[in-house]
Amino acid sequence: MSSFDDISEMFRSELDKLTHLLNSTNIDSNLSPTEIVEIYYQIMNMSSMNVMLKQQLNSDDQKSLLDEIIETEKLISEKFNHTIHPQILEKLTQSIQDITANLQSSSSGQKSKEEIENEAKQYEELRQKMSTKEFVEQYGKGL
Amino acid sequence: MIKEIAQNLVNLKKEFAKIYDGTSQIQEAIPILKSKKFPIDDLDSLHNFTKNNPIYYNSYEKTISDIPCVVYEGDINKYWLNSIRHGSSRAPFSPTWILSAYLCCLHVKSLGYKQVIDIGSGDGRIAYCAKILGLDSYSIEIDDMLVDLQNSISESVGVNFNPNCSDAITFDYLTINLSNPAFFIGGLAQMGGITLATGILENTQSNPVKKNTGLVLAGTVSQKYATDPLNHAGWGTLIDKFSLDVIDTVILPAVWTFKETDDVHYIFTKFQK
Repeated sequence: MSSFDDISEMFRSELDKLTHLLNSTNIDSNLSPTEIVEIYYQIMNMSSMNVMLKQQLNSDDQKSLLDEIIETEKLISEKFNHTIHPQILEKLTQSIQDITANLQSSSSGQKSKEEIENEAKQYEELRQKMSTKEFVEQYGKGL
Repeated sequence: MIKEIAQNLVNLKKEFAKIYDGTSQIQEAIPILKSKKFPIDDLDSLHNFTKNNPIYYNSYEKTISDIPCVVYEGDINKYWLNSIRHGSSRAPFSPTWILSAYLCCLHVKSLGYKQVIDIGSGDGRIAYCAKILGLDSYSIEIDDMLVDLQNSISESVGVNFNPNCSDAITFDYLTINLSNPAFFIGGLAQMGGITLATGILENTQSNPVKKNTGLVLAGTVSQKYATDPLNHAGWGTLIDKFSLDVIDTVILPAVWTFKETDDVHYIFTKFQK
């Protein structure tokens, strides 16, 4: 089993990754599906670690780590779950609506091979965003 | 014989997938001439359907495994988008290869069936193949945009394969003259096919022709999809529940298996007498 120092180090390393992700991500921009999945993966990773560590920490000399875990839970709950997550979902929904409207408006008339194959890329982007939205919604259902 | 041609088609697809360097969303190849590997009299009719089908926007000749073929390139994205808008389609439109459709209908004919009812018929290719083989055919599709597509193809090729815009689960099959029908269920078991097939089977329970009825089910053993504990490419539990007899399984390519190693398992079943 890992020593307390190893556990603390692992926790802080993962927390650093999460803090860096949250600080460096511009939520107002259109995040790519990969960026979105990376953020949610780290949030879920951190949340699981918090639950597991809280069960293991019991002595007074581990209190400082316990306090950090509680702070992290607060960060996830307040900053992510209540602010960033709804914003990501809203952006995704809007982007899906925009791409769909754009594709629907251009769906009639004769098109060249190049036009059809370029449009197919937008459909691919739409499919990716829809599946990312499903993933984000699943996260929301677990809150 | 049909299994041998089916294997030749699977091999052709594998070779085609290896050498294809285009970027179209969907593609299929059809041999130009009747040959030892493809002893098919109706190849011209299959080309005719494809040439008159607006989902294809480009075609060119290409020899694949020493077989001269025409490659058709197409795009079905707008139909996918429409099915989402309606929210009623049980599985998005993704056609089988026309030669696969033809071989399935040929098999159904050899098994003695007189009518083909293509459920979730997409662009109507199975119903079309049944018709050119001299079977009575009915094409049932819930998506209006796809039914419009079928009507346009039917008019262009001059073959009426009876497109119907209906929900196949609530459709009244007593209104059509059936004696020995084979129902083709569109959609993999894992992609809405079970729901569709269950609805059809429940709907036809009281139909007097039930004992002469066959069902052709499209399944997959691809690891991307959930397996069924009773196998049969995802259909085992349904086959058991409705006491169907499995007559045969034929493996054939579809548009979506182009880059896959596993092709579609068409399972030919009938009600136990």
